[in-house]
Amino acid sequence: MLNSLKSEHVIKEPSGLSDRIQWLRDYYFRGTERAWNNEYTSWTTQTPWDIIYNELTFYIVPETYPLLNTLGASYLQAARPVELHPDFWNWSLPERRAWFVREVIVNYVPQEILPGDLVAGARFNVQTSLCFTKDESKAWQKLVKGKKGARAQMKWFHDHGYGNAGATSGHLIPGHERLLTIGWKGVHAELMSIYNALSNQERNGSKGDQLRAVITASTMARDLASKYKILCENLAQKEPDAQRKAELRTMAANLSHVPWEPATTFWEAVQTLWINHMLVMTDENYPGAGVSFGRADQYLYPYYEKSIRDGMPREWAKEILKCFWIHANTAYDAMIRNGNQGITAGFGQLVTLSGLGAKGRDMTNDLTYIILEVIDEMSPILEPKPNVRLHQNSPEALLDKIVDMIESSQGAPFLLNFDERSMAGMMLEARIADLSHLIHKDNVHEYAPVGCLENTMVGNDRSGTVDNNLNLLKAVELTLTGGKDLLPFCDPMTGKTEPIKQDGPLTPGASSFKTWEDFWKAYAVQTKYIIKKCVDLYETSDSIRARFFPTPYLSCLVTGCAREGKDITQGGAQISLTTLEAVTYATTVDSLLAVKYLVFDRKACTMEELIAALKANWQGHEVLQALAKNRAPKYGRDDDEADSLAHLVMQLWCDETWRHKTKVTGRQFRPGMLSWNYWAGDGYVMAASADGRAKGQFLSNAICPSNGADIKGPTANTNSVGIVLGGKAADGQGDWLDYLNILPNGASHTITFNPSILRDPIHKDKFKAFLKGYTLNGGTALQINMLDPDMLKDAQAHPQDYRHLLVRITGYNAYFTTVGRELQNEVIERISHNKF
Amino acid sequence: MTRHQAPKGIILEIIRMSTEDGPGIRTTVFFKGCSLSCGWCHNPESISSKPQIQWMKTGCIGCGICVETCPEKALAKTPEGITINRLLCTGCGLCTEECPTTAMELLGKKWNVQDLAYELAKDRVYFEQSGGGVTLSGGEAALQHDFCLALLKELRGRGIQTALDTCGQVSQTVLAGLLPYVDILLYDLKEIDPDKHKIFMGAGNDKILANAVFAAHFKKTHPYPKTLWIRTPVIPGTTDTVENIRGIADFIHTNLEGAVDRWELCAFNNLCRDKYQRLGMDWSFAGKDLPERSRMEELTRIAESRVSSSIVCWSGSTKLEKGGDQKSPRQTQDKSNPAHGC
Repeated sequence: MLNSLKSEHVIKEPSGLSDRIQWLRDYYFRGTERAWNNEYTSWTTQTPWDIIYNELTFYIVPETYPLLNTLGASYLQAARPVELHPDFWNWSLPERRAWFVREVIVNYVPQEILPGDLVAGARFNVQTSLCFTKDESKAWQKLVKGKKGARAQMKWFHDHGYGNAGATSGHLIPGHERLLTIGWKGVHAELMSIYNALSNQERNGSKGDQLRAVITASTMARDLASKYKILCENLAQKEPDAQRKAELRTMAANLSHVPWEPATTFWEAVQTLWINHMLVMTDENYPGAGVSFGRADQYLYPYYEKSIRDGMPREWAKEILKCFWIHANTAYDAMIRNGNQGITAGFGQLVTLSGLGAKGRDMTNDLTYIILEVIDEMSPILEPKPNVRLHQNSPEALLDKIVDMIESSQGAPFLLNFDERSMAGMMLEARIADLSHLIHKDNVHEYAPVGCLENTMVGNDRSGTVDNNLNLLKAVELTLTGGKDLLPFCDPMTGKTEPIKQDGPLTPGASSFKTWEDFWKAYAVQTKYIIKKCVDLYETSDSIRARFFPTPYLSCLVTGCAREGKDITQGGAQISLTTLEAVTYATTVDSLLAVKYLVFDRKACTMEELIAALKANWQGHEVLQALAKNRAPKYGRDDDEADSLAHLVMQLWCDETWRHKTKVTGRQFRPGMLSWNYWAGDGYVMAASADGRAKGQFLSNAICPSNGADIKGPTANTNSVGIVLGGKAADGQGDWLDYLNILPNGASHTITFNPSILRDPIHKDKFKAFLKGYTLNGGTALQINMLDPDMLKDAQAHPQDYRHLLVRITGYNAYFTTVGRELQNEVIERISHNKF
Repeated sequence: MTRHQAPKGIILEIIRMSTEDGPGIRTTVFFKGCSLSCGWCHNPESISSKPQIQWMKTGCIGCGICVETCPEKALAKTPEGITINRLLCTGCGLCTEECPTTAMELLGKKWNVQDLAYELAKDRVYFEQSGGGVTLSGGEAALQHDFCLALLKELRGRGIQTALDTCGQVSQTVLAGLLPYVDILLYDLKEIDPDKHKIFMGAGNDKILANAVFAAHFKKTHPYPKTLWIRTPVIPGTTDTVENIRGIADFIHTNLEGAVDRWELCAFNNLCRDKYQRLGMDWSFAGKDLPERSRMEELTRIAESRVSSSIVCWSGSTKLEKGGDQKSPRQTQDKSNPAHGC
């Protein structure tokens, strides 16, 4: 019976697509078989010292560490020459880079229009020379690859279980609305006037260099559009089909106008948005890394409304957007030959929908629904990822659409962001980081998430939302050992084992802790140490990026850079922060709870015995491990005692994080909670933990409870998350209404539901009510998963990891792992076929 | 009542975000102890009012601590796992306190009203957003009447909507005392034939039918309960006869008409099979299949033909049919009739 399950498992199919879109979608999914793709091409200045690959941006991707040298070499090897401007080597680095990138994308990379496509701008994935002089190249090599260079420091940090940090591309929302309104012409004019107002001394200094660079970059979109315009005209001439001919002519007309001039129609606005967006990825040499669109349903709306008034059919707006959607997915082509069609989890061209406006008004409009329909009709498709902003007054129609989409996609094809909690965090940020002139009660609703759920302001904010990923759990390990690794590091490449050293502060030894409070004090010391360690590591790559990797095109799109005469990589954005994302939160809290429970409260073992058990990876200490896993309190159950310790842990590391700024770029650190895939990978790096987890088992994900710990169900889980973020202010005076939120960046939260919760209209209403309850009690962002047969089969194989899995079949509740095999199989069969 | 006299309840389980025990999102409290002993009971651990222990293979690491702990020598370690000699076990729960894994579990824990109400109020916002609340279920909650009444009063005081899920086999005085604090009464009418009722449920149905009439009258003449749902379990080979459904329908029509807001036919469920095994109980329904979908539909049609049809609906899982394009209930349900979505 079970063998045939997988193939019969109901999978969402795209629907309602025109022939054009169906063809483009099918073509896209042909992957490596396509004649056309958007694979990286690499381009060199032809100097013997040229460097193309900026590895710093991959320091937060541990999977690439063994490949850094290979990638660097292979881009160089494959690089094609670019004929340089005669003055090239007389220019400053940002000017060289601005010119080189523009030259490559306008004059070297071919321009193409796919059959039927309504949006121009196809290839954008490039690896371009870093444009170094010989001296710059030498300095870069030493700073990055030297014995104590950025790479070595980063590797040490990761190898020893601290996490990772690196100055990473993307992860911001460019000022798209401004570009639509004033066009590149307006930007260019503004840059010229700033440049013309500079004194001679300033012009000859770095400010002048930077402004000349951004002025060059500000013509890139215009020049590319004019190439595409000619292409469209040529194609139109040859096109036999009258309708397609007309489309190509309109595209040419659009491109003769935008993105240089302000957009006037919906089609022009979408065309502008695409070119401006794709060139960010060109400029950064990195596709889709959290380069987010912000509130597209808001800033595209005036153009949509006008075009509808002028007679554009609603379906045509969707057709244009669907082409845009296909384009966004070609970002994955960058490394298309590396398997899985190049599709990785590391992208996130996020688009924000709905949400609050001024004076508490809901901003849902017809374009919100159009974009949701586009996603629904094209799904499954990955990019751009939508994040729908909900709040206390979100309209029922929007919630209905969301719930229907969750049902038909077997899980949410989008993230949900929660405005009140998120805005409370942004207001806190304004206060602590002294940004109240830029973030305040009258504009905080304009915030939008980047990447997945990382909240920032729009068009003037780079907050380095994935740049620092710290395993809080390391501080528990260092507390147990008095500042040393619990296990010696063994290099998997060389097989060499390093001796254990006193890396962290020397806190009292295990046996000297008389009380839980003694332990907590030492934990606080070690937490401060690991944060400082992360800050120092980040400084190495952030300062190198600031010196060597300008992104002048992106700097044009972010307010602050031009006035300051600084690149965005140098901290030019008005809001220039970097985020420390805490990883392993629940594992850390649960480990502290377990130490308290096992050693001080239940006195099941001494501290020495616990350490011995952890060193032995619990082998021979199974009873103690079982106590830690099953009897010690856990975060995520709406248990006051556990959650109050969880809140203390949160407060401690957040307070400490706010104390730091980068030295060279002056970026304030702020706290957040996201853990991408580190919670899985670092589970193999980090030693066994006191919560009963063995080395090699997963750590906890972002703000979620530990795997299987949320045995009290989704509402208890949600309440715990809300409580540790700060809950509601007792006096009603929160940072937004009565809400508090200690994490301005926000926190990633995933809950898995049984699909039977959506089985009929009455249950859908219950689910909607849950979402409304989440708005009041929960966190900043939620990803909804639905149980699928694969997960249940995994639960059969690993029941200990799925203690929380509740099966609800009308009038009857049972934990999945407590029912017999045969009945489990039946549950799987029902879920596979949506028969409850 | 002074604090030290405050009643304590024996509670089996608290299930949060329950979507199946009344309207909206609910927290359901399962009371231990029942006045009936239905052969098919889904929650056999709720029948006895005494605390019981159970051992679950999943999670047991075989440490044997429970065996050493037991003062009655009721436990033994065997190749199949831990066996419980139910004749010796007093349900003291010492083994469950010492068990490191929770594989040995005490069914039935003591709660005082304040602590329990505090726990139940934690999902208040979800209740408010969904029109839900707390359901007292079991077992038979009304058997622990002092505690049940104190809890209902406390929840009412906290502004939380309440539902009482009762089998009806309780004293009318007790019921009369509880009803003013119940927003929604979920009332089981399982079998109309008194002899069959005695065989399957361990008691006749005189009291149950009389209480149903009493509750319906109470509802019509008092502010509470506001809602009355009748529930009939459809159990293959017992209550699933046309005669029974007709009989209950006629009873509702004659005695309860106008007071009943919903009559739900609940399909038999076999997910509890392993529970019986763990409790060392034989289960005569272990081999029974779920009812067929067509049977549920037929019984629903019969029910609809004899009472106000808008109150009738059915719920639950039906037998999986092989090969065919079996439609799931939601695809055939008439969405225009909200009662059909239960």
